[in-house]
Amino acid sequence: MRNLRAVLFDYLGLFLALAGLIVFFGLSTDHFFTTTTFLTIANQIPDATVLAVGMTLVLILGGIDLSVGSVLALSSAALGVCLIQWKLPLAAAVPACLGVGLLCGLLNGLVTVMWRLPSFIVTLGMLEVARGATYLITQSQTQYLAGQVDVLADTQSLGLSPVVIMALLVVVAAQFILSRSVFGRYIIAIGTNEEAVRLSGVNPKPVKVAVFALCGLLSALSGLMVAARMGSADPNVGIGNELQAIAAAVIGGTSLMGGRGSVINSFIGVLIIAVLGAGLAQIGAQDPTKRVVTGCVIVGAVVLDYYRRRLRNEES
Amino acid sequence: MNIFLRCLLPLALLGAAFAGCGKPSEKSRDGKPRIALVMKSLANEFFQTMERGAREHQAAHANDYDLLANGIKDELDVSRQIDLVEQMIAQRVNAIVIAPADSKALVPVCKKAMDAGIVVINIDNKFDATVLADKKAAIPFVGPDNRKGAKLVGDYLATKLKPGDKVAIIEGVPTAFNGQQRKLGFDDAVKAAGLSLASSQPGNWETTKANQVASALIIEHPDLKAFLCANDSMALGAIAALKAAGKSDQVLVVGYDNISAVQQLIREGKMLATADQHADKLAVFGIEYALQVLRDKSTPADRETPVELITKDNLK
Repeated sequence: MRNLRAVLFDYLGLFLALAGLIVFFGLSTDHFFTTTTFLTIANQIPDATVLAVGMTLVLILGGIDLSVGSVLALSSAALGVCLIQWKLPLAAAVPACLGVGLLCGLLNGLVTVMWRLPSFIVTLGMLEVARGATYLITQSQTQYLAGQVDVLADTQSLGLSPVVIMALLVVVAAQFILSRSVFGRYIIAIGTNEEAVRLSGVNPKPVKVAVFALCGLLSALSGLMVAARMGSADPNVGIGNELQAIAAAVIGGTSLMGGRGSVINSFIGVLIIAVLGAGLAQIGAQDPTKRVVTGCVIVGAVVLDYYRRRLRNEES
Repeated sequence: MNIFLRCLLPLALLGAAFAGCGKPSEKSRDGKPRIALVMKSLANEFFQTMERGAREHQAAHANDYDLLANGIKDELDVSRQIDLVEQMIAQRVNAIVIAPADSKALVPVCKKAMDAGIVVINIDNKFDATVLADKKAAIPFVGPDNRKGAKLVGDYLATKLKPGDKVAIIEGVPTAFNGQQRKLGFDDAVKAAGLSLASSQPGNWETTKANQVASALIIEHPDLKAFLCANDSMALGAIAALKAAGKSDQVLVVGYDNISAVQQLIREGKMLATADQHADKLAVFGIEYALQVLRDKSTPADRETPVELITKDNLK
């Protein structure tokens, strides 16, 4: 019973916020409360979702990855260059795309661990390096993929594209790893107290490198998803996405200090941001208004999270 | 990223100042005039093409002048562009050809360059007339009329629609002058043809942002007949949104810039039209104009460069 209550507390606040937004937009525009709206939002969020999953894991570890947006761009550019300029088949281009992301993540992790640098600085460097490399390999040109990866984002047969299902699987798998596996326990433990982990005879370094590598891989997957959805690889894609991923994770109650967070909650954070974006666009709000409202909602959600946690602590 | 700029810039400026010292003669050692090309974002295909055109022109006229080409990281990095102009003044170039990132903020530093005896030519994005008058600076503008170009595209679109049809505009960055001009041009065409403007929202020149806005607009206005996008990257985003909604054959899309990625789409009939401002020649026009002014010591006037409507019929 107590357990159920705790779970309810964990999700209820966020769901209420989400429901509140949906009701608000439903009342204020004519066509928001329709299946089409929700299907459209669902088809738009896979890339943001996958990015937020990687970010959540890194944040729980006590690190941060600012390079996700640039790595996303670099891997989708790699996909475009392989397909269009080198005329490689999809079976070779997709592994290349994911490999590029994995490599960037691995580098982030290795440099952070080897010289004990703050991941903030290392990934800030990667943010620049990956973006520059993107412009270099594409010569700053948008690559039109001529329908080669469209199958991934095809919405006609089911209403939902295959990448949506892929993203949901990633969320479930990551939540499972985080809460049910030894590796997940280590992530939380390192984020809570790295020294204690070391003293108890566990080497935190491989875990940290693996989490950064995973985050890089997920960024690349996100890049693949964007490229499939747009039918093109834009070298300017993903600018500022790192902040959006951090916002989603924080709305979901992930601590920037590490040690606390949940992948499912971050997913709800992504939903809140997506609903907000779609709703404001349907209302026809101007860009400045959109930014003001989005900022307020992010901070509001975190304040809500504070009260939720306090309530729960009083309960137990 | 700003951290890097803050640390490196003073060093760069110091270097530039030293380089400028003890060089009273303005022309390079072999007496050729030195022309500085100060560009906007090198992340943008349009400016890349412009720079490539300038470099090729210089290579073909290597005996006539030397070229120093510089750009900034993104179109919003105004202060960095001001720094660049100051470095060029310190380098004592003979002429500066500039595509200003901001039509007001760059005027004072260009005036400073003119006071130092440097010929300044404005390309691409026109300086604000009020600020120019206020600073008593007469800087000639060589470039296309974005408003006229957008009207051209809009008028062509109107021939495919009937009066009263609903259309939507996807704008560029709201603060950019050329973005504002394109929106005005679209507005002119919409009014002239008696179309009904359902909504006009910024997509910030970006594929994914435009995709989100377009998806929301399709739902909110199910009877929408066309999207007028202020650049081609955003048109790609709108086309992807239509495809996801299964409405590709019901809604027309027009763009601006004629980037390589949309040419195939126009041939396939997935996109109706775009405008070509001949980016490869734009900087060249500016450079040739600067050379002419240096030679004749004439007082230059504005010069308009051509904009061409690109449709399936005239695309090679």
